[in-house]
Amino acid sequence: MLGSRRRFLLRKRSVQTISCCRVPFAVQMFCVWTVGLSCLVLLAGCRESAPEFDVNRVRAMSLEISRDVPTEAALQDVSPLIETLFGTPQSPRWPVEWMATDEQRSLVSLDRLKIAAGGVTSDQENAHTGLYQEHCVICHGISGSGAGPASRYQVPYPRDFRAGVFKWKSTSRSEKPTRDDLMQLLVKGIPGTPMPSFSILPPSEREAIVDYVIYLSVRGEVERELLAFAIDMLDYDTTPPEEDLRLRLVSTADSAEVPSEMTEGQEAIAEVIDDVVGRWTSAEPTPVPPYPELEGDELAASIERGKEIFHGQIANCAGCHGQGGAGGLPSLDYDDWTKDFTTRIGISPDDKDAVKPFRKAGALPPRQIDPRVLAGGIMHGGGDPETLYRRIQNGIAGTPMPSVEISEDSAGKTGLSPDQAWDLVNYLSEMIANP
Amino acid sequence: MASTTNHASAYSTPESDLGQAAVPQSRWPRRLAVALVVLVWPLIWVGGLVTTYDAGMSVPDWPGTYGYNLFLYPLSTWLLGPFDLFIEHGHRLLGALVGFVAIGFLIASWRGDSRRWVTVLAGAVLLAVIGQGVLGGMRVTMSARVLAMIHGCTGPAFFALCVVAACVTGNHWRRKSVLEAAGVGVSEAGPSQSPRMFLPILMVAIAYLQIVLGAQLRHALPTASPGMFAHTAMTHAATAILFAFLAGVAWWRMRGCGDLTLSRPAAGLVCFVGVQILLGVGTWIVNYGYPPILESLPGSASYRLESKNLLDAWIVTGHVATGSLILAVSTLLAVRLKRRRAVLAEWRSSREL
Repeated sequence: MLGSRRRFLLRKRSVQTISCCRVPFAVQMFCVWTVGLSCLVLLAGCRESAPEFDVNRVRAMSLEISRDVPTEAALQDVSPLIETLFGTPQSPRWPVEWMATDEQRSLVSLDRLKIAAGGVTSDQENAHTGLYQEHCVICHGISGSGAGPASRYQVPYPRDFRAGVFKWKSTSRSEKPTRDDLMQLLVKGIPGTPMPSFSILPPSEREAIVDYVIYLSVRGEVERELLAFAIDMLDYDTTPPEEDLRLRLVSTADSAEVPSEMTEGQEAIAEVIDDVVGRWTSAEPTPVPPYPELEGDELAASIERGKEIFHGQIANCAGCHGQGGAGGLPSLDYDDWTKDFTTRIGISPDDKDAVKPFRKAGALPPRQIDPRVLAGGIMHGGGDPETLYRRIQNGIAGTPMPSVEISEDSAGKTGLSPDQAWDLVNYLSEMIANP
Repeated sequence: MASTTNHASAYSTPESDLGQAAVPQSRWPRRLAVALVVLVWPLIWVGGLVTTYDAGMSVPDWPGTYGYNLFLYPLSTWLLGPFDLFIEHGHRLLGALVGFVAIGFLIASWRGDSRRWVTVLAGAVLLAVIGQGVLGGMRVTMSARVLAMIHGCTGPAFFALCVVAACVTGNHWRRKSVLEAAGVGVSEAGPSQSPRMFLPILMVAIAYLQIVLGAQLRHALPTASPGMFAHTAMTHAATAILFAFLAGVAWWRMRGCGDLTLSRPAAGLVCFVGVQILLGVGTWIVNYGYPPILESLPGSASYRLESKNLLDAWIVTGHVATGSLILAVSTLLAVRLKRRRAVLAEWRSSREL
């Protein structure tokens, strides 16, 4: 009994001692936070791994619906092949062995790719690496899909490089942009959109980013084309085809070397790479005739003629951009990146149930593309006369904005003469400056 | 009464514990606690700039700097070198200075403050600054963005803790001062009813939630899903509006009790939240352009974003720093109110006796 009484008194004293030392509420909260955050640190340490390129499942699903053939077997072969050819976000490769010409091989520099790739670092000489993750990935995503973490609320959505389609360029509608086009975009940005200007970066870093964008675009387009090739030409179905037709490198998994005797599948790989890279190396700006510098009455007359063309039947700009470029006419149309998984495979972008699987696979919600309000507006791709001329001549790739044929022969029939195109440019410039 | 004293909490510490003790209280704990507050907020600014400029990995080693001891890194290379290196190494030096001040605060509390729990608090401050430094170091050595996010979340919590330390070592913590602020002896009716603790505690929780949500956006991983980012952004914005409402209610409630030590921080909170919402909108605009809801504003159609623009960087970093300030002031409000309630409860019970 005495023992239990003593234990009781000891316990009571210890309770009193603890009560004396009661710590403030804030300290208690701090302790709770500390424990909670320690758990988070442990979890974070286990979870974080180097980012990897995501597989283009949206493309695979589009092919599956349009061709009515399962694409999982093709995806199983194409995904490791793409990684072998092009490497990873930390260690990119440029498959020069599979390219036919020196021009293709030197389209991008592996040294510059390595500067743009990987995680963000810098040193005492201010040499930065991981430029893509530092400047681009938050919007364009790790594989250049345009579905980066911050893409959802951006208007317009960030560009999906993997389709190989670029809006703002000096080349014809179906061609790739030139390096200079991409460099100009990095320097000037795209006013009125979330694409910033990177004029503060040294030219060498901008060059590295251009290389990496081209690399992502080529990688993504080769993936897209190989998936289509596998289904259309190589008999991929629920199971892979015979060995000769499979899209596989026979040599070791880490090697991208071209075998001395290629299978049909490997010939397809070479063909697709040559086609995609070849279109980048062959891209040239479309020629633009000299701009006729006009003043006074001559300029006023040119603007008046341009106004007629703007509202006329051939160019019919007002049909979308509204009278005087004031806008207000909804197009009910979508850009090509959205059409790729909707209207082109017979799915209505408004059909949420049909679109849902594509959303889950990484596609952004379909969003209508409206014609620009030109009056008093700003031209996203540049507003100088030469650029406006090319915009009329080539349209805007990936969008409903069409091109107009510009030649003396077609003038007045199906197109405009160069002088008429310049009249239209003068009217547009006047409309932008003085709405 | 002696028994009551023994069982009292930190909030109901009797006057004899501070101000009228037999041994005079040292002023150093207060001075060093204020120094911590004054140093930690700029530390958060510099840390915010490190993230804004993606400079976290500009010094690849830790605890040294490019092989040098942290304090022996050549001054000329630091001051005249790249900006990224300047802010990252500066962040580390400032953090180390805060660590030294925290050591001083612990010693000063141990030697100069008879309240044992203040020494415990000072120990917690020191442990927190060490932990925060180790977390920052692990972020570098492991090159882990998630750790950078957690480091960004623990920084404001540490700042709030320093504010608590400054609060409990200050004059307003004294029983006499609390009673005066509550109006005891001013009118026959006595002090007005104290507001409930629920609202300030809720505000501390929401202010910290906002910091965590903001860190999720700021340190988003390259592979994070756009849907999750969008949900986080929307929750962040909606919670900001809720917090602004709560801050207004808190100011109204604190004014009602006539205690300036409560109503002034509450009024400050309303101002900070207003500034913070503007900075938040600015942060979105300089990062991602005008959101559709603001596209009718003049200049939105032609606005051109510029990467690493100086003003933009300060807007974004200011948003981070103001978030920490809001958490700290909310915590101050909660701690002061808790103290007032405890002291008035004691005062009432002593009158009844």
